[in-house]
Amino acid sequence: MTSSARSDLEQGRIDAGLTLGELFVRYFELGGMSSPIQVEAFLYEALEPSAHDHDIVAHALNERFVELGGNHPIRYATDALDG
Amino acid sequence: MNDASPLSHFGIGVTFEDADVVVAAIGEVDIVTATDLGDIVNAVIDGGHSSVVLDLSRCTSLDASGLAVISTGAHRLRLLPLGGTLTLRSPSALVVRILAITGLDQVVTIDEQMAPTTQLGREQSTGGMAAGNGFDAEMGERPLREAHSPDTEAHSLREVTAIAADHDVVDGALRLVVALARATVEGADGVSVSLERHGSLATVAASDQTILDMDADQYATGEGPCVDASIKGRWFHVESLDDETRWPAFVPKARTLGINAILSNPLLVGERPVGALNIYSNTPSAFEVKDERLAALFATEASTILADSGATVSDGHLASRLVGALRSREVISQAQGILMERDGVSADGAFTYFLECSRGSNRSIRDLAEELVAFARGPERADSETIWTRDD
Repeated sequence: MTSSARSDLEQGRIDAGLTLGELFVRYFELGGMSSPIQVEAFLYEALEPSAHDHDIVAHALNERFVELGGNHPIRYATDALDG
Repeated sequence: MNDASPLSHFGIGVTFEDADVVVAAIGEVDIVTATDLGDIVNAVIDGGHSSVVLDLSRCTSLDASGLAVISTGAHRLRLLPLGGTLTLRSPSALVVRILAITGLDQVVTIDEQMAPTTQLGREQSTGGMAAGNGFDAEMGERPLREAHSPDTEAHSLREVTAIAADHDVVDGALRLVVALARATVEGADGVSVSLERHGSLATVAASDQTILDMDADQYATGEGPCVDASIKGRWFHVESLDDETRWPAFVPKARTLGINAILSNPLLVGERPVGALNIYSNTPSAFEVKDERLAALFATEASTILADSGATVSDGHLASRLVGALRSREVISQAQGILMERDGVSADGAFTYFLECSRGSNRSIRDLAEELVAFARGPERADSETIWTRDD
C-alpha cells in the first residue's frame, strides 16, 4: 500500500513537470528536514519516508498541481492507511 | 550609557524617546553579549512597551546570535494583542542585506536616522576581523540612503550585487547557512564554512572568533576534519577528541580552544570537493544522528549555493530563491507554533491540520500560514474571510 503511494510520488513529479531540484525546494519551503538525496531516495523507494515526510512531498506536488488547475491528485499517507 | 572600546567591551544603553524605548548596543554583539542584549529587549517588552528601537549606530559587529535577538524581539512584538514594532536604527549595509536574505526585513522597520559612514569607518579601524566574523565588517563605504522596503528588495539586492564582487553575495548566503546551522543543530557551539580560494583553504563564514581560530589551526597544521573533508570529499563525525589519534598536530590546539566534538561535511560542486561545512561543540558526544542529517542538509544547501553562483548570482536569482524558500519555512514554522500553543497539538499535527485546510480550500499552506500569523497579531488585521476565527 505505501509502496504504491511512493510510486505515485515519482509519477506525480514527472506529471507535474518538476525537476528533482524544484521538488526539493518546495519540500524545503514546507519545512522538510531531509536532504535532496534522501528525497530522491523516497521517490525511487530506496528509503521509506516517515508518514510526515511522505505527506510533505505529496503536498509539495499537490500544490504544484493546484497551480496547474488540478485538485490534489497525489494521495497522502493517511489516505493510504484509510484504504 | 556606557561608552566602550569597540574591540574589548560591550555596553547597552536604554533611553526613552516619546513612546519609543531605545536600546542601544555599543560594541560587538556576539554569542556572549547577545544574551545580555536579548535579556534587555525581553525585559522592555515584558514591561509593556510595544514600540522598541534597537540602535545599532555604535554597534561594531553583529553575528548570528545578534540576528536571533532581532528575530525573537520582532516576533514577540508582532504577536502582542495590539501589535508592536521593532525598529533597527542605523544598521550597516551588510546587516540590511542579511535581513533581506533571511526575510527578517519583513518583521522589522529600518530607520536610517544616522548615516552609517562613521560606523563603517570604525569597523575598518577595528581591523583584523574583516572577513568571516560577523555580518558587519566588510561592506566598505556605502551608506544606505533610504529605508529598505520589501517592494524594493529585488532592486536593492541587485544594487548591492552590482557594487560588491559576486563572491560577496555568495559569502553572504553562506553566512546565512552558518547562522541557520548554528541555530538549528543542537549542541553546536560554533559553525564555519571553509572554501578553497586561490589554491588554499580560507574561512568565508564563521560564527565567532574561536571557530575562526579552529579553522586557522587546521590550515596551519595541514590536518584536521575540516581539511580532510575539503580535500577528500568525505564527511567526518569526531564524537570526542579525547580518543582521537588521526590529527596529532591539530587535536591539542583544538582542545586548548575548548572544542571536543566536530562534524565536517564536504561541499561538492559537481563531484569535486571545494570546501567544508564545520560544526563544533565544546561537549563530547554532543551530536546525534539527527544532527548528522541536519549537517548534511546544510552542506547540501551550501553546495547548491556554490554550484548556482557561477550562472545566476548576477541576476539576483540566488538571493530570490533563498529569500522565498526561507521566508516560507519561517512563516509556516511560526504558524505551526501558534497552532501548537492554541490547540495543544504536536508540530506534525499542526502541519497535518494545515495540509487538510489547504486541501479543502485549494490554497497553499504558505498562504494559510501567513493568514494565521496575521490573525494572531490581531483579528482586525486579518482578511475578513479568514478561516482562523475560533469557534469557542
